[in-house]
Amino acid sequence: MKNKEKLLLDLAPQKFGLKGVIWTWTLIIISIIGIISYIDQVIQGQVVTNMHDYALWGIYISNFVFFVATSFVGTLTVAVLRLTNNNWRTPIVRIAEIISLAAIIMAGITIMIDMGRPDRLLYLFIYGRMQSPIIWDVIIIPTYIVISLLLLYFPLLPDFALLKSYFKEKNPILSKRYGKLALNWTGSIRQKKIQLKSIQIIAILIIPAGFILQTIDAWLFSTLFRVGWDSTNMGAYFVSGASVAGIGALVTVVYVIQKAYRLEAYITDLHFDKLGKFLVLTCLIYLYFNINEYLIPEFTSKKEEITHINVLFTGEYAPLFWFVTIGGLVIPILALLFKQGRKPLPMFFIGLLVVVGSWWKRFLIVTPTLLQPFLPIQGVPESWHHYYPSLHEWAITIATLAMALLIITALVRYLPIVPIQKTADELKNLETSKKDML
Amino acid sequence: MKNRLKYCFLFIVFLSLSIGSVAFQNIYSQNNNKHKVRLQAYYFKIMDSASFFNIKATSKINKKNTRVSNIEISVYNSLENEQIKLGNTITNHQGETRFLIKDLNSLKPDSTGNYKILISFKGDSLYKKASKKVRFKDAVINAKLVTKDSINYINATLFDKNNKIPIIDEPLILRVQRLFRPLTLGNEFSITDETGSILTPIENGIPGVDGNLILEIVLDDNDDYGTVIDLVKAPIGVPIVDESTFNQRTMWSPRSKTPLFLLIIPNVLTLGMWTIIILLIVNLFKIYKT
Repeated sequence: MKNKEKLLLDLAPQKFGLKGVIWTWTLIIISIIGIISYIDQVIQGQVVTNMHDYALWGIYISNFVFFVATSFVGTLTVAVLRLTNNNWRTPIVRIAEIISLAAIIMAGITIMIDMGRPDRLLYLFIYGRMQSPIIWDVIIIPTYIVISLLLLYFPLLPDFALLKSYFKEKNPILSKRYGKLALNWTGSIRQKKIQLKSIQIIAILIIPAGFILQTIDAWLFSTLFRVGWDSTNMGAYFVSGASVAGIGALVTVVYVIQKAYRLEAYITDLHFDKLGKFLVLTCLIYLYFNINEYLIPEFTSKKEEITHINVLFTGEYAPLFWFVTIGGLVIPILALLFKQGRKPLPMFFIGLLVVVGSWWKRFLIVTPTLLQPFLPIQGVPESWHHYYPSLHEWAITIATLAMALLIITALVRYLPIVPIQKTADELKNLETSKKDML
Repeated sequence: MKNRLKYCFLFIVFLSLSIGSVAFQNIYSQNNNKHKVRLQAYYFKIMDSASFFNIKATSKINKKNTRVSNIEISVYNSLENEQIKLGNTITNHQGETRFLIKDLNSLKPDSTGNYKILISFKGDSLYKKASKKVRFKDAVINAKLVTKDSINYINATLFDKNNKIPIIDEPLILRVQRLFRPLTLGNEFSITDETGSILTPIENGIPGVDGNLILEIVLDDNDDYGTVIDLVKAPIGVPIVDESTFNQRTMWSPRSKTPLFLLIIPNVLTLGMWTIIILLIVNLFKIYKT
């Protein structure tokens, strides 16, 4: 009982300090600037963007792909680690669930931002053709949002009940809200049985859902007959890339939360070490698919392929390409192979590098291919061979990233980041087994 | 007094000339502002089908040949003493029109068997009046498909309908109808012999709908007879296999023709997932009620 009180004291949601308030307001202001820019884009049309006949997908789509990729962290850490009985996951699992939910919600919003006529969104459902991978995306994204929400909610039920009692005197309004969210949770055997069964079902369900989501995202590209996209490697390439982006984001957020909430006792070096090993594994798999993706076209040297590869290797996008490959993959792999590299602070920087690399990687998947059309139009302006996002595009895209962080921040503010009941149960089990051993 | 009358007369003459010249100048200039119209007419006869004139109206405006659209053109059968009106036709936006001769037998030829046709435009506020005389004789092509030693030929005879005399040393073209324009077969043309006939081989392997070829035997733009075409339906082609996927369920069909596997698999997956989601939500209610 004493342990649970200590846990509640440590892990119950706390008010933000000055830094937290500044952080939140910064995100709100960036989001407002983005919303204003988007309203202007709706009024003026997509003429405010720098997209054109060649670069008809810009950073909105690369940003969308990034969000979809990041949302895969829920599938990986929660489902895969749970089903493989990796008990070290407990303190980081909720953070993964929160990132996953925030990312997939923002993916849904970002794809709408790219629509020239968002008022026709409903037409996708009314007139959509099942032959189009875009319709598959329209189906899987809401499905994944609901699954992610349930995945976050079910394990929270006991914690909500604990928080209801904890805040009863400190903050009755908050206590009442937690009470409603707790759904009359008493911890009865029947309730526990239903909850555990449900979590088990979601943990299984989210694996095919996550793989379908990532694969559909890949098929959006590979079903188009375009250089750089027309590849059977794309599904696996996107799944492995999503693992890297998701774990990278998780490492970064886990470090920030550990420091902000002083959770060193719960999120330890061991967790960073495990996450580091997980990240290096995903990076190695992704590197393997990258080699497949670039080396084979280089060998076969088809004219269009080689033009595309030259643009990436030595051309206009070479600095970005090598930054993404070396900075976002090779350096993290080399650093994480050593124990020192898997300490919290190095892990934070590596995670940050991986996330930034992952974002630009999506830009490199989308843009250079569009600038090298398979059937070039004659006499196009020189500017069509280049694409750099407009101020509107940057403002809106940065705002979507800020909104994702805002969702994470809001959830971190009001939800127990480390599962309280589960941690208490695990500690109890640990004590019992120690006693048994003695 | 005599001088005064002389001056008065001279003054009136001068005045009349001045007024008259101005008036005539106005009339002349009005006429002068109108553009000349050039009419072209070509006679066509398709055996056992229709006879018609393809008429084209052009005008040189600002040194550029311009097609004259929407003008009414009258067609007459010219006889020695009279003009029998056959009808009117109006040019389209390309300055072209087709005048169909309802019954060629109702036209009256002259003593030499020539039909004289007058194509006339009476003029309007923009264009001057114009006319064009066309003369033609009525020719007949009798064509049939013959097979000798497994080789298919077109045997065609060309003769003057008026005197039934074969037309010799004239080129006849053998073509096969295709989607956009006919395709000439074999040599560019075959010359009719002393019986007015040709025997032209048809190469094998020409594709046709259901194996049917529509062959055209053409006397092309002849000075005396115009263009005469006889059509022969020949079931000697290679049947075209319809490879259209229009009515099939394909990846590029409209939504009503979605491939069945694409209707079944994604919908089964979606329904399966949403059934589980609904069950999970029901579980939340169960927890609430427990």
